[in-house]
Amino acid sequence: MAEKGEAICFKKETVSKLLSSFFKEDKTKLSGDAALLMAEMLKVFVEEAAMRSQKQAESEDCDQVEIEHFEKILPQLLLDF
Amino acid sequence: MSVDADETRQRLKAAVHYTVGRLCQRIGEDHRREFSRQVVAAIAETTFRQCDVFAKDLEAFARHAKRSMVSADDVKLLARRSTALSIYIQNKSEELAQEQRDLKKKSTGKRKSKDTEEESRA
Repeated sequence: MAEKGEAICFKKETVSKLLSSFFKEDKTKLSGDAALLMAEMLKVFVEEAAMRSQKQAESEDCDQVEIEHFEKILPQLLLDF
Repeated sequence: MSVDADETRQRLKAAVHYTVGRLCQRIGEDHRREFSRQVVAAIAETTFRQCDVFAKDLEAFARHAKRSMVSADDVKLLARRSTALSIYIQNKSEELAQEQRDLKKKSTGKRKSKDTEEESRA
């Protein structure tokens, strides 16, 4: 995964609030390191989703990436994560 | 109370959607193939829902280790299904640990030089 100049990423605080909102127990907290790593993981997830959809569109000779392309790659994406 | 929760949820969804949009735009530019707005929204929604799965897993891992704080080790476990992903997260984790060690060295280094200054003066 090549690093581009301006690194687009999920903010640590957003990730923290996001994951915390889904915890079942109030006492469960997310460490700072875990939040940073999860931000990376989510970025990879989105990039994979986008790249695979893009490749699917390419294989179908389409100029734009459409919802059908995403739908086709979604099952494998979820299995891979 | 539930209105606040809804608002927070909407704001979080919007934040996710924003970053997803930017990532899709960059990948679209790299490959000269635009992402339709529908796809961006679908990826954002999927990512949001996947966070629920991730969060529940992380919570379960932490609880299994008899901790209430989710740690980096729990995240590494989460990445176990794909070797490449696992290695990537492992490397990031080591990068973070190294950064923290470097920061610590900087602050203890400053303290040490201050101490030796005071010693030489005394």
